[in-house]
Amino acid sequence: MVHAAIILAGVVAVVFAGLMATQRSLYACSVCLLAVLLQTAAIFYFLGAPLVAFLQVMIYAGAVMVLVVVTIMAAPAENPQALRKPSMPWFLAVLGILAPLGEAAWALSRGGLPQAAGWGASAAQMQVGTVLFGPYAVATEAVGFLIFLSALAVVDLNRSQL
Amino acid sequence: MTAVLPLSAILIFAAPISAVLISFFLVRPFKPRWTHWPILISCAVVAVSAVRIAMRVYTTGPLDVTLAQWMVAGSWSLSFGLRLDGLSSAVLAMVAVVGALIHVYAAGYMEEDECMPRFFLFFHLFYLAMIGLLTSNNYVQLYLFWEMVGMASYYLIGFWYHKATARRAAMQAFLVNRVGDFGFMLAALLLLSAFPGSGARFTAVFPAVAKAPPALVCAIGYLLFWAATAKSAQFPLYFWLPDAMEGPTPVSALMHAATMVTAGIFLMARSWPLIAGVPHLPHLIAWVGAATALGAGIVAATKTDLKRILAYSTVSHLGIMALGVGLGEIGAGIFHLITHGFFKAVLFLCAGNIAHGLGKPTATVDEAGGLIKKMPLTFVCFTVAAFSLAGIWPFAGFYSKDAVLDAAHAFGPGMGLVASAIGFMSAFYIFRMLFLVFLGPRPRQEGGEHGGHHIHEAGLWMGIPVLLISIGAVCVGWFGGQLQSLLSMGWMAAAAPTVPHMKVLEAWPSLALAFAGAAASYWWTTIKPNWDWDWREKSPALAAVFASDFGWKPAMAWVAQAVVALSNWLGLSLDKGSWDRLIEASAEGAVEAGGAGAALATGSVNDYVWWMAAGVAVLLLAVLFL
Amino acid sequence: MNQAVWAVCFALFAVGLSLLILRRELLVMLLGLELMVNAANIGVVYGASLTGDAAGLSAALLIIAVAAAEAVIGLSLILRVYQSGRSPESDVLRELRG
Repeated sequence: MVHAAIILAGVVAVVFAGLMATQRSLYACSVCLLAVLLQTAAIFYFLGAPLVAFLQVMIYAGAVMVLVVVTIMAAPAENPQALRKPSMPWFLAVLGILAPLGEAAWALSRGGLPQAAGWGASAAQMQVGTVLFGPYAVATEAVGFLIFLSALAVVDLNRSQL
Repeated sequence: MTAVLPLSAILIFAAPISAVLISFFLVRPFKPRWTHWPILISCAVVAVSAVRIAMRVYTTGPLDVTLAQWMVAGSWSLSFGLRLDGLSSAVLAMVAVVGALIHVYAAGYMEEDECMPRFFLFFHLFYLAMIGLLTSNNYVQLYLFWEMVGMASYYLIGFWYHKATARRAAMQAFLVNRVGDFGFMLAALLLLSAFPGSGARFTAVFPAVAKAPPALVCAIGYLLFWAATAKSAQFPLYFWLPDAMEGPTPVSALMHAATMVTAGIFLMARSWPLIAGVPHLPHLIAWVGAATALGAGIVAATKTDLKRILAYSTVSHLGIMALGVGLGEIGAGIFHLITHGFFKAVLFLCAGNIAHGLGKPTATVDEAGGLIKKMPLTFVCFTVAAFSLAGIWPFAGFYSKDAVLDAAHAFGPGMGLVASAIGFMSAFYIFRMLFLVFLGPRPRQEGGEHGGHHIHEAGLWMGIPVLLISIGAVCVGWFGGQLQSLLSMGWMAAAAPTVPHMKVLEAWPSLALAFAGAAASYWWTTIKPNWDWDWREKSPALAAVFASDFGWKPAMAWVAQAVVALSNWLGLSLDKGSWDRLIEASAEGAVEAGGAGAALATGSVNDYVWWMAAGVAVLLLAVLFL
Repeated sequence: MNQAVWAVCFALFAVGLSLLILRRELLVMLLGLELMVNAANIGVVYGASLTGDAAGLSAALLIIAVAAAEAVIGLSLILRVYQSGRSPESDVLRELRG
């Protein structure tokens, strides 16, 4: 069951991502991305990390996408086109995208990935707080500081508007 | 070192070196017209010392001493040393005495020339180089002095450098000798490698010839012969010698008659222990010598410029010397070298007297004629030397030249025929010259009156040396036996050289040939006085054949042009056309590459991201698969 | 199942990368960027779920936070480009050309 749910969520995510790539309208793109993010959250949930799933929805789907939409409204592209013509031949462009991933996949396939889905994430969920403010306390502080700085940056970038 | 070397051996080097230095640094800046005095004193010292060395070697034996090392690298070394054995002391005595007398002659000949100081300095430098060449004890030192002699030749042929013909002649002499010297250099290098540790010293090389690789010994022999061909004017590299007559007469007399051109013959005699073992080489030397002698003798009979006749005569006699060496008669060959030095010097100095008397650098047959009354001393000396050259008893040439020609007869019928022809022709051309110049004057000749200038006999400075050398041209031939004993001192091959003793009654065929040649020349110069001019007008084609040395001169000109064309091709089309274009193409390639690189920086973010992805792909490739 | 999750992860990453390479509009490129981060996040969380490692989940959370912050700044920059009078497309950002 859970397997099927994960796979279904994954398939939907990929479909919407593909759709996103071919949309001309920016709004449509952002909505497709929203769908992908929600599916990602679903995957997180079914993998046994509900906290991360909720935070994903809150931050990404709730805050970031809103900002994206606002920006689209404020700075519309004049003539959105579906795809731009890349400066290198098409097959090279596709190859450049697929090659790293193909190799990574190959590596993973050889790297002796442990079989079967583990469900130990639930127990790990409880430890997140301990880990975040324990061994990874510096990282957590740094990220918090980063968010603060990004807020400052936004303000500074738009100083002329204030 | 003084305990090892006798004083005379030191003096033969110290005197010329100090004379040149004193003349150059002390005398020339202050009293240029006295430059020749230290040099003449040095000449006297050297002549006396050379004779003393010969006497010493004759009585007590040879001397071979290595004085100093130039370069040492492990077991390989080059050294400077002296070898005073029979061969070198015999030739040295001739060179020193004749050279000293020619220096005296030059003092008179060059008296009015404004460049006299420079002349004497170069002339004495040549003298020093020749002494060094003769007394070397190893091949590398010999090569050094060989080149030095060639350098002096270049300076002295081109002495009157404002004349274009002199410049060209000097360059030609130098370049043709360079071709031969290249052979010598290769031979020296091969010697150093085939006889390791020897430093190319004669005493180390010759005993070891049998053990050395035969192919190398063969190559060395042929290369040394090639070098001798250029320096001693054998066919095919003889053609610089007639043109070298552009130099002043003392130069022609000393260098291109008596001494420098004999260096090649000396080299072959010196290397005889090596050359004798090379298959076919001695016979090649003999045949080349014979052909050269005959061909040059024929051409000599057709020339009108006095010095040119003598130049071709020198080529012919060098051929005779080479013939002697090639047949194995080293003694006869060296004997002829020595006697030739005397009588040829006399002939050249007499020609110089005539030219100087006319006030010109050289004289032609047309300007002479009937000089017997006006220049009696010159006539007497010339006649003596002519008899000597023709090989008539009892003059010096009889004992040496007829010894060589006899050996040629003994070799085989073909060679004997050529030798007879040589004997006839040499008498013919020299007596032709004698009769044309001193008897007459003929209708086509000026008889010593050139443009109002009356010819006169030479002065004391020029007359006395000629007289003294002509005494030598008479007497030297009587000492064949002593020469044989001298040559055996320090001879390094198995059999000591012999100087055959010629007896008048047994040598009547060659004497008959010489008289026949003289008679024939008398017929065609005096009985038929205009013949010498008429045949040229009647058959200009024949005259052209002789003038071009049977076509060899145009052939050499063609070769020179081919070489120039080759070097032009290499320089212009290969170097400039291809190589330079290649270099420039690389520069253009760099620019193109830069342009291609610049084309990558499109300024578009999308492309840069692609490049990032591609880079990751390459990195993964490297990590995973390599 | 194992391969399915990884396939999803890689596919989403590929789509995000292609958006970044093949679209002109800056905003769509940003969305592609976000897509890539999310794809990576799937991989992290899955790996954490396999090993039961709390550190992995913490990392996932930190990644979300950082991605959000970076998205905010990117959006501000896009606004600035727009306000400088140019259309917010990658063609207009040509200062590094040549």
